[in-house]
Amino acid sequence: MTEAIVAEGLTRVFNGTVRAVDGVSFSVKEGEIFGFLGPNGAGKTTTLSMLTAVLGLTSGHATVDGLDVAKHAHELKQRIGLVFQESTADQDLTGRENLEVAAALFGVPLRESPKRIDYLLERLALADSAERLVKTYSGGMRRRLELAVGIIHSPRVLFLDEPTLGLDPQGRAGFWRIISDLRKESGMTVFLTTHYLDEADGMCDRIAIIDHGKIAATGTPSELKDRVGGDVVTVRALGNGAGLEAALKALPGVTSVTVQDGSFRVKCPIGETLIPKVVGAATGLGISLAGVSLRRPSLDEVFLEFTGREFREDEGPTATDRAVFLSRFQDARRGRR
Amino acid sequence: MNVRRWSALTKRELLKISRNPAAIVTSLMLPILYLILFGQGFNFTSSLDYLPPPERVAALNALILGAPNYFSYFAAGMVGFVGVTATLFVGANVIFDKLFGTLKRTAASPATATDIFSARLVAGSIQPVGLAFLVLGLAILLGHVGLSGLTVTASVSLLGAAEIVVAILLLSSMFASLFLALGFTIDQPQTYFALVNAINLPVLLTSAALYPWGAMPSWLQAIASYNPVTLAVEVLRINFFGDAFYPYSAAVYLLGLVGWFVGMFTVATLLTRKALAPKA
Repeated sequence: MTEAIVAEGLTRVFNGTVRAVDGVSFSVKEGEIFGFLGPNGAGKTTTLSMLTAVLGLTSGHATVDGLDVAKHAHELKQRIGLVFQESTADQDLTGRENLEVAAALFGVPLRESPKRIDYLLERLALADSAERLVKTYSGGMRRRLELAVGIIHSPRVLFLDEPTLGLDPQGRAGFWRIISDLRKESGMTVFLTTHYLDEADGMCDRIAIIDHGKIAATGTPSELKDRVGGDVVTVRALGNGAGLEAALKALPGVTSVTVQDGSFRVKCPIGETLIPKVVGAATGLGISLAGVSLRRPSLDEVFLEFTGREFREDEGPTATDRAVFLSRFQDARRGRR
Repeated sequence: MNVRRWSALTKRELLKISRNPAAIVTSLMLPILYLILFGQGFNFTSSLDYLPPPERVAALNALILGAPNYFSYFAAGMVGFVGVTATLFVGANVIFDKLFGTLKRTAASPATATDIFSARLVAGSIQPVGLAFLVLGLAILLGHVGLSGLTVTASVSLLGAAEIVVAILLLSSMFASLFLALGFTIDQPQTYFALVNAINLPVLLTSAALYPWGAMPSWLQAIASYNPVTLAVEVLRINFFGDAFYPYSAAVYLLGLVGWFVGMFTVATLLTRKALAPKA
């Protein structure tokens, strides 16, 4: 399988001092869905902007579909599709008119253009509202139109920048179902940035975790979760918990114990069997516990493992959002639409 | 330049203009108020009516270069006014398209800076021509409802009519180029409007659009002779009132306008190219 995107030492410095992207290297294989995961300000959009020739490179080298992004910007723009995180459709034009302009800009042959537009309007459930001005569209409809504009010319590589930002869980699940189907139909490569861990976990073949402009880890979701090394039991003690760390390390099956913000993160293969032992160890030391929780390996844990800090919750969806999204996403995968 | 991309972008701009009648009405409001209030109120040449006809005509010729009254002279000047003010929105639209993300989408497409610039230029220059003819029509109409109106004393030939259209088109294209360049370069609407006001008023006040030529001090006449608004309105006045009092023919004034347009277009396309290039 050949590589659709290759980035080597990609660096972008703003105002001479701010290193938004700092020596990022990775590659994306043809036909892959590759996720760029990180919190706000991590460097995701800056990387995507460099790969799509919207932003120049301070240093480094990148090719997309075999084209050097710094030298062949014009040719590159004809081969790639780009879906921005905000709506870029013309509000005073209808959905169809927006697609007609996009078809002309991206050089869709005149004869094929009406058919392609009708197909996309139908495929993205916009046919009934095609003649309405975009300013009357809902958020979900605008996102779908944005996607239609991005793929009007059947690009070989599709870049999605936080494409589901602001959508409700149902809208997000529907959007990803379409992307998944389109990828299967056309075999296009998809590069997406997101700060939704559940999306990256559910959609991507491989993920790169980016933080402070640097890549912290790359791999498939399961590879990354495996690297965490099993379940994580988090123990919060009342008081300073003196001696608890050593006692926890001595428990059978414990592979590591780390202390963060007064909590003890205990890694072990099977969390359920460890919890009674943790409680026993604390009781033996006369330490009262404020709480014990068990977390299965997840990308949250992966992020914590590779960046040393929690994924900032205020930047992601709520726990309820995640549960609803996952449930709908799994339903979609099982074909219950 | 790619013709298909250019025509799609031009069509988009024209559709947007046609769907925003409020902008067209607003563009017409100011010239209409000027015609009805300023034009009628300042029609000072009626105060020369007490003079015997030969002296009156001589005074009028010295002041307003062959026009039958100040309102007629002023009405031609209002066309220059429209050519400038009706093009303001082209640059403002660029800034709003930046704010709403639409320009980002176009800039990320294979369309070149020339495609994007020239589509907006053509769409933005057509509207002032239409508005200018509406203003001229209204100025003539006012003369038939008991007010001072535009009186055309020369017979306008087909070539003369073409010269008028070309003059308005060149003037509006020149200013549309300027305002587009500002729109592509500036990000804040407040800065844009402040700059536009700082440009508009001096341009109009150093032209012969409003002042009677004969009443202008010689230093102001010297500046006004090179002002593009003057060049455009003189083409109209020559065709409306005859060329007896003008130092040059309409063709020479048009040539001056071509020079202004080419210069402004060149600078504006360079600035637009720079603004739309990937951020270094």
